[in-house]
Amino acid sequence: MSTGTTRRARSQDPLNLGPRLLRRLYTEWLRRTYPFASMGSKVSIHHTCKIDRRKAHRIKLGSHIRMEKDSSLGISLQPEQEGDPVIIIDDNCVIHWRSQIGAKNLIHIERDVLIAQDVLIVDQNHAYEDIHTPIADQGFTEGGRIRIGEGTFIAHGAAIICSQGELILGRNCVVAAHSVVTRSAPPYSVLYGNPARIIRQYDPLKEEWVTGPVRAPQTELVP
Amino acid sequence: MKRNSSLLPSHPHRQPMEDPLSLIPRATTKLFSLWIKAMYPFAAVGHDLSVHPTCLLSRRIAPRIHLGNSVVIRKDTWLNVLPEASGELNIKIGDNCLIGAQNVISAKNLIEIEHDVIIGTSVLIQDHNHAYEDVARPIRTQGPMPGGRIRIGQGSWIGHGVSIVCNQEELVIGRNSVIAANALVTRSFPAFSVIVGNPARLTRQYDPSNGIWMGAAARQAAVVVCSGEIS
Repeated sequence: MSTGTTRRARSQDPLNLGPRLLRRLYTEWLRRTYPFASMGSKVSIHHTCKIDRRKAHRIKLGSHIRMEKDSSLGISLQPEQEGDPVIIIDDNCVIHWRSQIGAKNLIHIERDVLIAQDVLIVDQNHAYEDIHTPIADQGFTEGGRIRIGEGTFIAHGAAIICSQGELILGRNCVVAAHSVVTRSAPPYSVLYGNPARIIRQYDPLKEEWVTGPVRAPQTELVP
Repeated sequence: MKRNSSLLPSHPHRQPMEDPLSLIPRATTKLFSLWIKAMYPFAAVGHDLSVHPTCLLSRRIAPRIHLGNSVVIRKDTWLNVLPEASGELNIKIGDNCLIGAQNVISAKNLIEIEHDVIIGTSVLIQDHNHAYEDVARPIRTQGPMPGGRIRIGQGSWIGHGVSIVCNQEELVIGRNSVIAANALVTRSFPAFSVIVGNPARLTRQYDPSNGIWMGAAARQAAVVVCSGEIS
């Protein structure tokens, strides 16, 4: 058994070429056959990702996006419906394993957003108020719109759910692991818990991070 | 941007068709479902079963599993029955249930999921837990606790990332209940409840005498916790 302490690997494992090639081919297949609203360059999508081709015209992808294994972009609209894109992902976003984005109205993920594993982002919910019908048959609520500011990090297992109105996370927010976010937050906030609250925030007056939300005097944060 | 390229042309007035590559997973799922329906000795299995081939479902435990009609089990889900399991039947899944991807359903006594339940992704349902009270041994060698029983009422919806864990006695979720994302449920709730948080609490419930959905008192507390902290 080799210890591997003295020898250092000079190149990557050649077995890695297989999945890399498959990923490249699948992305090229998507680019050539799916009618995306737009798709930038250097996109990389794993072949286990779930994207419905019949609804791809409602998806807009920027450049340098990575979508890892089993992540999905779901749209709960009929494929016949024409209209503006409901999922917009800007440049340099990473969507990690098993993360799901489910849109009905609009989910806009701005540039440089990092989404970790098992994250759920949905702008609608199942309707449940009819007590005589199983929830599975009641369809979806009206829902709202979600915008996730640039440079935000969404940690493992977090859920961002907007049942109505608009949910906006400002830029460079951090959503901690397994948090459930249902309300907007200003830029440079650290959100934590279920339901999520702001446990840390950047104070532009003191120019430092403070514990808890920044309180009065209300200041205009750098957008 | 490139649209409608030469490989799979889609006519401007016609819907783009489904990706032909998606036939591969659909076909393997269909074949695998037929295979396990024919080959696995389930306690009962209904028609229109759909089980993704990546599911962890051992043939050894199949006699302890009851699957109703039109059950769908998505990718990477694990149905587990412990070797220490008691009784004849340990997992019972009713008609028209949808078990999402990456779920873990681990039974020692009985986990019963009634008809028309939808379960999201990354959900954990277990009716036992690891014993840990012997300080001299690693927890992994201490075996399971005696555990309890879990019943999930018909027509319910269990959201993404929920954990339902019952260490003792019985945990019953009433019918048409909603368990919101990432909730951790360790006790019973009545029918027509909306359950959120960690630990789970009731935020909304149907009031049959007035015929309306009412916010529970706990909901007020939740508003106080959040107000002023998230604008």
